[in-house]
Amino acid sequence: MINIKELQASIGDTPILKSLNLEIKPGEVHAIMGPNGSGKSTLASVLAGREDYDITGGSVDFDGQDLLEMDATERARSGLFLAFQYPVEIPGVSNINFMRAAVNGKREHEGLEPIKGKDFLNLVKEKASLVELDGRLRNRSVNEGFSGGEKKRNEIFQMAMLEPRFAVLDETDSGLDIDALRIVANGVNAMRSPERSFLVITHYQRLLDYIVPDFVHILVDGKIVMSGDKELALKLEEEGYDWIKEDVSA
Amino acid sequence: MTPSAEPIVMDLQRKPNIHPATQAKGEALVSALAGQRTSVDSAAKYLSALPVPHRRVERWKHTAVSGFWADYSEPVVQTIEAAGCEACPVPGLHAYRIVFVNGTFDAEASDLPVHSGVRCEPLSMSSAGIEAEGNLESREWFAALNGAFAAEGMKLLVERGVVLDRPLLVHHHTHGANSANIMRHEIEVEENAQVQLIHWSTANEDASGMVNIMTRMQVASGGIVALDKVQDEAGAVHHLAFEQIKQAGSSQVRIHTGTIQGKWVRNDLNFELNGEGCDAVLNGFFLPKGREFVDNHTTVDHRAAHCTSSEQYMGILYDSSSGVFNGKVFVRPDAQQTNAYQQNGNILATDKATINAKPELEIYADDVKCSHGCTIGQFDEEALFYARSRGIGEAEAKAMLVHAFIGDVLEGFAVQEVRLEVEHRLATRHGWDTWNDTIENA
Repeated sequence: MINIKELQASIGDTPILKSLNLEIKPGEVHAIMGPNGSGKSTLASVLAGREDYDITGGSVDFDGQDLLEMDATERARSGLFLAFQYPVEIPGVSNINFMRAAVNGKREHEGLEPIKGKDFLNLVKEKASLVELDGRLRNRSVNEGFSGGEKKRNEIFQMAMLEPRFAVLDETDSGLDIDALRIVANGVNAMRSPERSFLVITHYQRLLDYIVPDFVHILVDGKIVMSGDKELALKLEEEGYDWIKEDVSA
Repeated sequence: MTPSAEPIVMDLQRKPNIHPATQAKGEALVSALAGQRTSVDSAAKYLSALPVPHRRVERWKHTAVSGFWADYSEPVVQTIEAAGCEACPVPGLHAYRIVFVNGTFDAEASDLPVHSGVRCEPLSMSSAGIEAEGNLESREWFAALNGAFAAEGMKLLVERGVVLDRPLLVHHHTHGANSANIMRHEIEVEENAQVQLIHWSTANEDASGMVNIMTRMQVASGGIVALDKVQDEAGAVHHLAFEQIKQAGSSQVRIHTGTIQGKWVRNDLNFELNGEGCDAVLNGFFLPKGREFVDNHTTVDHRAAHCTSSEQYMGILYDSSSGVFNGKVFVRPDAQQTNAYQQNGNILATDKATINAKPELEIYADDVKCSHGCTIGQFDEEALFYARSRGIGEAEAKAMLVHAFIGDVLEGFAVQEVRLEVEHRLATRHGWDTWNDTIENA
C-alpha cells in the first residue's frame, strides 16, 4: 500500500525526519508512538502534502505511484486521507457543501459524474450515523464552534465519506474524553477492511485499546528506532520512553 | 475638540496646492460639456468654487481621476436594442423597468410602474429643479458637475402608505466610445411607503467614457427602501456613483452594492439620519481583476437619537487591481443611543493587488455604541490546505473561501433573483464552476 524509504524532511535548515523507513501493507493498522518533537506530526504532514516542509531525501511509493510528486489534492483524490490533529475551522463554508466538493473531486478523478443531490444526502446520513454526528453539525460551518470531540468526530465522518485506501490519524485521541474516544474508535474500526490501511499516530496507549494495531513503531529523533506488536505500546505506557532512548544511544 | 463642535461632513478645502494643469483639465471638461448642453446654474456655480479633485485632497488621495479628462462625443446608440443588450439583465425577474442607454431614456425597453400612488417618469419629462445648496453638489466637484449637466434620469414618487408590488429595475447601459453619461435619479418615498429598487449598470466590451450618476433619495418617516446596486460594466468606463440619502424618523434604507466588474468605479454613499429611530444598512462587495480599480467611500451622519447603522464592505482584489475603502461615521452631539457598526474586510489575492482602507469615526455623543473593524489579509493557508487534503482543488477551495467571505453581503441583497444572477456572473467571470452547482442546488 505505502512504502516509505529513507525519508528525510526538514523545515528551514532543521532536519526533522532523518531516514525514516516504513512499509504498510493492505489491511494493516500501524501505530506510531514517540516523545514530543520526534517527528510524528511532521510525518503526517509530509504524507498529506503540506508544503511547509522540504523533502531532502528518500521516496514514498503509494500503490505504485510516486506520492511525493503529487500535490495535496491529488493525494487525497488518489485515496490518502489525513485526520488532522487540529481540524481547521472554515467560517461561512457549510460542512455539507465542503463535503460535496470533496466527494465530487474524488469522483471527477475516477471519471464519474458529480453525485446526485439525493444520493449525496443519503450518503451523509449513513456515514454521519457511524460517528453519531447529528444534523445540526452537518449544516454548520466547517468545524466552527465545534467542541474538541465534535471536531474529531467530523474528521472521521469525512474519512467515512471519502473512503480512502490509506488513512493517517494524527493524534486523533488528543482532547477526547472517553466517550468520544470510543465513538471515534468505533468509526475507525467499522472502516477496517482487507483493502484499507491505517497509520495511527498517538502519544498514548489508550487509543490502541480501542483501535488495535498490527504493528507498533517508536519514532525518536526522526527515525523509527523500534518496532513490535501491540505489547510494545503497553510496555511504553508502563515504562515511558527513557529506556528506548538509552537503548538507542547505547 | 469640544463636544459641541460641528463635525466637518466633507472636505471643503478650496483648491489646496492644486496644480494649474489639473484645474485646467477640469475647466476644459466643463466648457466642453457646456458647449453640448445647457447647464443648471444653481449647481454650475459650485464648479468654479470647488477644487477639481486631485491627489492632495484627502477624499481623492488614492483615487486617480485622470481617466475623466477625455474628449467626449455625442453617443450614436440610444436604445438597448441597437446596443445589442438585454433590457432586463436578470433572468426571471418580475419587475418594473426603466432603461437608459448612454444617458438617454429608452421608452421601448422600459416598463414603467402602473400603480396607484406611484409616479415614475424620466427626469426630462418632469420640471424638477436642482437644489444644490446643502447637498453634495455644493461640496464635491464631480457632484456639482452632475448637478450642472445631468439632463436625464428617473423621477420617482411613492406616495404615503403605498407599497410598490414589484421591484423597480433601473438599468443603465453604456455603449460605444467616449460618451459622457451624466444622470440623476430623484426619489421621494413618503410616510410609510415601501419600494424595492434595483440599479443595474452594464456596458459593452468596446464602451468607454464617463458615467456619473447621482441618486438622491428622500425617505419620510416609516418609509422602507431597499436598493440593490449591481455594477457589471465591460469595456473601459469610468463610473462614478453618488447616493445621497436623507432619512426621516423610523425609516429604513438598505443599500447593497455589488461591483462585479468595471475598469474604474467609485461609489460615494452619503446617509443623513435626520429623525429618531432610523435604520440604515449599507453593504457591499468588490472583486476587481486585472488592473481594475474600485473605490467605496461612505458617510453615515447620525444627526438624531436612537438610530442604527450597519455597514459591511468586503473586497477581494486579484491580479494588479486596486481598491479604496473609506467609511466615515459621524455621531452628532444629539444623536444619543446611536448604534453604529462598521466592518471592512479585504483579501489581497496576489502580491501586486493593493487596498487603501480607512475607517473614520467621529463621535460627539457620549451614550452610544459604535464598533468598527478593518482587516487586510490573504487567503487562509490553513483552510486551503485542509480543503486540498480532502481532494478539493486549490481554485475551488479559494472559490469556497470567497463565497464565505462575501456571503453575508450576498445574502443581504433584497431581491432573490438579483442575488442569484450576481452569484452566477461572479462564478462565470472567475471560473468558479462549483458556485453555479451550488446555485442550482439551492
